[in-house]
Amino acid sequence: MKQILFLGLFFISFTANSHNPEKLVISEIERGQLNFENETIAAEYSAALKRQRIRRLSAMSWSKKMYIFIKAGFEHIIPQGLDHILFVLGLFFSTLKLRSLILQVTAFTFAHSITLALAALGFVKLQLSVVEPLIFLSIVWVAFENTFFKKTTKWRPLVVFTFGLLHGLGFATLLTQYGLPKDNFISLLLAFNVGVEFGQFAVLLAAFILIRLIYLKTEYKNQLKIPASILIGCTGLFWFIESLI
Amino acid sequence: MKKLILISGLILMVSCQEKSKLDPNINPFFQDWTTPFEVPPFMDIKNEDYMPAFKKGMEENLAEIEVIIKNTDDPTFANTIEELERTGKLLSKVQRVFSNLASSNTNPKLQELQRELSPMLSAHYDKIVLNEDLFNRVEEIWNNRESANLTKEQQKLLKDTRKQFVRSGALLNDSQKKQITEINSKISELSTEFGQNLLAETNGFELILNKSDLEGLSDAVVSAASEAASQKMDQAESEDEKEKYKDKYVFTPHRTSMYPFLTESTRRDLREKLYNSYVMRGDNANETDNNDIAAKMAKLRAERANIMGYKTHADFILEENMLKTPDEVYDLLIQLWKPALKRAKAEVADMQAVADSEGKDFKIAAWDWWHYSEKVRKDKYDLDEAAIRPYLSLDNVIQGVFNTTNKLWGLNFKEIFDIDSYHPDARIWEVTDKDGSHLAIFIGDYFTRSNKRGGAWMSSFKGQSNLDGRERPIVVNVCNFPAPVGDNPSLLSFENAVTLFHEFGHAMHGILTDVTYGSMAGTSGPRDFIELPSQLLEHWVSEPEVLKSFATHYETGETIPDELIEKLLKAGKFNQGFINTEYLAASLLDMDWHTLSLEDAKNISNNFENNSMNNIGLIDEIAPRYRSTYFAHIFSGGYSSGYYSYVHAAVLDSDAFEAFKEAGDVFDPELSASLRKNIYEKGSTEEAMDLYVNFRGRKPIIEPLLKVRGLDGSSD
Repeated sequence: MKQILFLGLFFISFTANSHNPEKLVISEIERGQLNFENETIAAEYSAALKRQRIRRLSAMSWSKKMYIFIKAGFEHIIPQGLDHILFVLGLFFSTLKLRSLILQVTAFTFAHSITLALAALGFVKLQLSVVEPLIFLSIVWVAFENTFFKKTTKWRPLVVFTFGLLHGLGFATLLTQYGLPKDNFISLLLAFNVGVEFGQFAVLLAAFILIRLIYLKTEYKNQLKIPASILIGCTGLFWFIESLI
Repeated sequence: MKKLILISGLILMVSCQEKSKLDPNINPFFQDWTTPFEVPPFMDIKNEDYMPAFKKGMEENLAEIEVIIKNTDDPTFANTIEELERTGKLLSKVQRVFSNLASSNTNPKLQELQRELSPMLSAHYDKIVLNEDLFNRVEEIWNNRESANLTKEQQKLLKDTRKQFVRSGALLNDSQKKQITEINSKISELSTEFGQNLLAETNGFELILNKSDLEGLSDAVVSAASEAASQKMDQAESEDEKEKYKDKYVFTPHRTSMYPFLTESTRRDLREKLYNSYVMRGDNANETDNNDIAAKMAKLRAERANIMGYKTHADFILEENMLKTPDEVYDLLIQLWKPALKRAKAEVADMQAVADSEGKDFKIAAWDWWHYSEKVRKDKYDLDEAAIRPYLSLDNVIQGVFNTTNKLWGLNFKEIFDIDSYHPDARIWEVTDKDGSHLAIFIGDYFTRSNKRGGAWMSSFKGQSNLDGRERPIVVNVCNFPAPVGDNPSLLSFENAVTLFHEFGHAMHGILTDVTYGSMAGTSGPRDFIELPSQLLEHWVSEPEVLKSFATHYETGETIPDELIEKLLKAGKFNQGFINTEYLAASLLDMDWHTLSLEDAKNISNNFENNSMNNIGLIDEIAPRYRSTYFAHIFSGGYSSGYYSYVHAAVLDSDAFEAFKEAGDVFDPELSASLRKNIYEKGSTEEAMDLYVNFRGRKPIIEPLLKVRGLDGSSD
């Protein structure tokens, strides 16, 4: 059973891209296909798609807009944000103590909310090509710590907080690429964030339930800690190298 | 766990996207479109679907014609003319989509198809219009028209249908038909040659300047000229040639290169040189000289008109127009000519005063016009374009034109998002009438992009007809406004805003149309009339009341200040003497070429153009907008005896708008209703002049246009 789970995770992590650029986050307001080769036409087309999404959104009711952004935030974790999933799983495997886990997750959430807001409001600007490799490194680091450090250090929440800042920038680059209508900017930003939190929570919940199903007892989670972390770390490293090429 | 299942269920539920209802294995043109309002299923149409659909469309069309001919009953309006209206549905279905997309969202494959299709289609339509059996039926109905009890609309359709056959030579005997075919092919060869010569002549001259020759030129103009030189260097084949352009600046007789130079350069000698290169194109007594070609074409056209039974080419062409005879056209042009020339002379005097005050010791010449008129403009009509743009965001202007038609006719526009368009920038609106009923689909495709043809136009994806039930149209406006940068809105120039209203006027013609027979719907009328609905709508955008209702600053929300509006409107009267004089001179030249009898056309003197211009008293400071040897509109385009149309439509729109001014309300309900009923709804179901008189209560007069353009003496 354990082996199957490993194999499965291994398979998924190496075949899927962390963010498939073709896959669009906000699917309700998406139409049309990109089927040009010419670069200029493609760039014009995606700029037009963004304008179209913003128009569509502006025409929607408030509740519909909120729903779409919550959903977009959620989908940004599940199924599209495999990198974020792995990071959260990295946190999950780091400790047995619920308190420590909650502390880390809260630090992560707090941090990525800050940078997501700052970047979406235009105060911070960073290229995805810079942010993405760093996010992958953060995964590697968390896994590294899980594998080689006996106990989680007291600095861990701070480290996680710093990484959270990075992940927030990652969320933001995608969000701004898709466009936020000016009139409901703040509330939709919040909605997106709420969606992200839901996604994160769902990952943790699923991990928790799976562990319970396999081992019956939470304590056995430790047996899984090192192999899972190695796997997570290798995947992150693979993505990191891939993103540099 | 329950939560998890719930959440994943939710994702599945909402991520199910609506799928197209078409069968992907069958050509989409061969299926019924069940999309809302029958908007073409753009996402399902692939490049390779067009050709088979065209071929089948043409085949079906010919088969349908065959059925009409084979009908053993006596020809009647219903079994022939009306049936003809019903033919070619598939062909029109594919052709509308194709021709629109080949212009507005093209790709190499569509371009190639276009070249391939053009001869196929013209051969196809020839087969129909030259079909003798079909014409015989039409002619029989025509001869019995008095007793057939036809409605007014039916009578007009019968007349137009017959005329199409007759003008293609249906009444001629075989030897005449052969002559016409020969003449047509000669004309077509000559017109191609004319165009090629013109291109060669325009590309054949360049003014290569040193740094020391650039006095007065702005940085932008200098850098464009330097860029032109380095391009020439890249293209150069030999080292010597490269050396010629090294560190040099190049100007050419292309207008985009010439006008900035003529405006800014303080080197009078160089202005003269470049200007002369422009006006002498095709007139240099070399192998690309166009004088002879123009004369030959005039002769052939006169000959063709004679065979067809007309006195001159202009008579043949004008028969189809709103102004029916050369006399009517001359009458209009001459009436406008005098005040325009008078204003132009006053403009020369203004410029001379500037030159004198600078201590210059010369008489203003044609090549000085741009340079000195710019000085006058800065002094009297200065307007900062950049100050206006922030008030004219595209969304504001669209709202402005929607509001205008709402106030005029009670129309409402709702953007719809659940229909796929051909491009995400091509927005779709449903247009509803004042009682809420569906009127049309309007597609607005406003931003420039690399796979779109330049310019601005209106077209339709579906026509209007009431023949077999109420069919409402799908109309499109395509423009080339600058796309927004980043998250800022697209900001238009005032000229752009006018263009938007103009094209929307055409769109209104296509949207409000309400006729029985599709071939007479919307913009099917004569060339000198169909610009009326478009140019008329332009007047509203310049009305302070209208402008203030939508022109608000995109950042501050402030309404456009009165003072800016005043400057804007005044700027519209700048240089109108020149603009009108050069235009009218060219229109008169066009008419002179095409009102030659065959006798006169055989002996055209070398001084033809000079004599023609001397007759009307054109001043030396102005050349016709196009001299004969580069008048491509009439010698290699479709505007022979038609160049006057622009000003004719302007007379109509100014006079029509004057009615609202007289009423004291630019949204006068009674006039609006009459405008809709008599002009915008009617298509070409009646003679254009009758439609106009029905609206205005009299024939058009020129005075309102003179006022609009400042030619009424008020600007002196």
